[in-house]
Amino acid sequence: MTSGPSRVRRYVMLLLLLCGFGVVLFRLVTLQVLQAAELTAKADRQHQKTVSFEGARGAVSDRHGKVLAMNVEVPSVFGVPTSLESPSTVARHLSPVLQIRSDEIERKLRQDKSFVWLARKVQPEQGHRLAQLSLDGIGVVMEGQRFYPKGPLLAHVLGFSGIDGQGLEGLERRYDSHLHGEKRVTVLQRDALGRTVFPKGLAEQAPAPGHSLTLTVDEVIQYIAEKELEGAVSHTHAKSGTIIIMEPQSGAILALAVSPRFDPNVVAALTPDRWRNRALTDTYEPGSTMKTIVAAAALEEKVVTPDSMVFGENGQMVIANTTIHDHDKLGWMTFSEVIQKSSNIGAAKTGMALGEHRLYRYLQAFGFGQRTEIDLPGEVNGLLKAPKDWGRRSLASISMGQEVGVTPLQMVSAMATLANGGVMMKPYVVSEVRDQKGGLLKEVRPHVKRRVVSQDTARTMTTILEGVVTNGTGSKAAIPGFRVAGKTGTAQKIDSRTGAYSSTQFVGSFVGYVPAESPRLAMIVILDEPQGEAWGGVVAAPVFRRVGEQVLNYLGVSREDTVKIAMAMGDR
Amino acid sequence: MKMVTIVAGVLLVFGFVWERVDVVRLGYQIERLKTQKVLLERERDQLQVKFSALTAPERIAKVATEKLGLVPSQQGQVLMVHSPEQVPGLSPPSVEQVRLARHESTGRESE
Repeated sequence: MTSGPSRVRRYVMLLLLLCGFGVVLFRLVTLQVLQAAELTAKADRQHQKTVSFEGARGAVSDRHGKVLAMNVEVPSVFGVPTSLESPSTVARHLSPVLQIRSDEIERKLRQDKSFVWLARKVQPEQGHRLAQLSLDGIGVVMEGQRFYPKGPLLAHVLGFSGIDGQGLEGLERRYDSHLHGEKRVTVLQRDALGRTVFPKGLAEQAPAPGHSLTLTVDEVIQYIAEKELEGAVSHTHAKSGTIIIMEPQSGAILALAVSPRFDPNVVAALTPDRWRNRALTDTYEPGSTMKTIVAAAALEEKVVTPDSMVFGENGQMVIANTTIHDHDKLGWMTFSEVIQKSSNIGAAKTGMALGEHRLYRYLQAFGFGQRTEIDLPGEVNGLLKAPKDWGRRSLASISMGQEVGVTPLQMVSAMATLANGGVMMKPYVVSEVRDQKGGLLKEVRPHVKRRVVSQDTARTMTTILEGVVTNGTGSKAAIPGFRVAGKTGTAQKIDSRTGAYSSTQFVGSFVGYVPAESPRLAMIVILDEPQGEAWGGVVAAPVFRRVGEQVLNYLGVSREDTVKIAMAMGDR
Repeated sequence: MKMVTIVAGVLLVFGFVWERVDVVRLGYQIERLKTQKVLLERERDQLQVKFSALTAPERIAKVATEKLGLVPSQQGQVLMVHSPEQVPGLSPPSVEQVRLARHESTGRESE
């Protein structure tokens, strides 16, 4: 029999033990049940590391396979501050290689971190020199960087991609789903010191690179267009400029130049205004180039013939209490002369003869007021009001290219329709998409949108438009040895302060095709707010001639007189 | 017979060991070649970018005009000479004839 105090001691001990077990049990339940999810995640964070791998972005080439954009792996330099004994010594060694101040590197290396970037995406030579130094606590990893080796060439079409390889502008954005490499997330284990343990065979599982694009653009034609456009913008002190060159039979874009240019390799300091593709995002009132469309509609509807006589009202005509002027006091003239002399009154009368609904139908058929559906982002519809919203003067105004907003692409596409015998093609810039092994994934074939006017009408319009160059306002667009068809345009801009047409701000343009008898190129040249003489025939037509002559030479298109010389020699 | 069996067994063991060693050796060789392939591909891409930058029309035009003193062809200095297949009924002109045509077109006197 145990004595009283000893029994009490046993009970106390038992109670204490029970309490102890109770505490342990409570803690166990807390850790294993109540906080299980949270703690498991915390442990995973300590022992595992999720790494995202992405395959290289696909390349972009011109129609002859010349590389315009591609990814290259370049070295990035990092440091592990916790494993450095003397950050100042390491910084002194690194400074001349990385060309960063020694104290700046040292400041990074003294941070209480296990990983710091010292320099990202440096030159390969710098990476080699660092490898030779073999510094403890300093490492190099390879990262993909997007390069645009031609600099500003075709920048507005190519666009650019961001630091994480996502397409941000232009083709890089439109075709991002094709261009970006395969993304793969891998969970890596970390050891007790926090170092990542790369499992064997990881390199073999590298994600597949993106698809590559082949464009319809020719880098030489693009260069010619950009060079001449830059020259013209600089010479005329214009605010900006655009040239589009299209193959009329297919709709393939051969060149699309926008000034001012930008270098897609260095976009950080630029504003969106600089990289906006004005050829499809900006609208302008086309002015007299629109008379081509009105004329084609009138001929197709047999409202007029090329020889119909039109009275020019001696340069003035009152419509809806407003006066329409011509640049000269024009009297009686043929319909062909209306276009060749670019008579506003003649165009207004033609439009009125067509009537609101017919004119509107043809404007729509020629693609105005709707996107061309080109494979580039940011395209706008333009501005074409329905006849119910037209004012009393609208019919006359639209006939001479006012009260309507078009993009340069819409206008060149409409002109290319006439060059192609009245058949409108869908414009496009990407002709092929290929996988990483060169296998063809997608081939873009020319796409017929619709027939807009008959072949006869298109042929008649070609004759009239040739007259614009031989006898009319577009004489400076004439290319020796070739027949050129085209139309000049000089549109007054709306003054944003007064809301009225400005007497000092103009858009000068020329749109046409060459050789007229068998067109190889349809081209538009636009100069926004040229200073001094702003007539399209003075500022834009010479650019058309210079670009056209060089491009035709480059393409090996024969001059008419060349054939005659060769044949004469052949006859000897 | 017993001896033959022992020799065959030893050869079999040697063969097995040799095969394992060779597999390991080839494994290392494959790894080395893979690394080399990655490095060569990287170098190829870097050279491709460099080549592409060096052949940019803008750079070539600059070198041609500023370093070599060339000038763009003037009006009439370029003549397309087509082969008889391209122009029906046309015999190919001789080199002299082409040169003559070029001089005529630029207004110079023929040699």
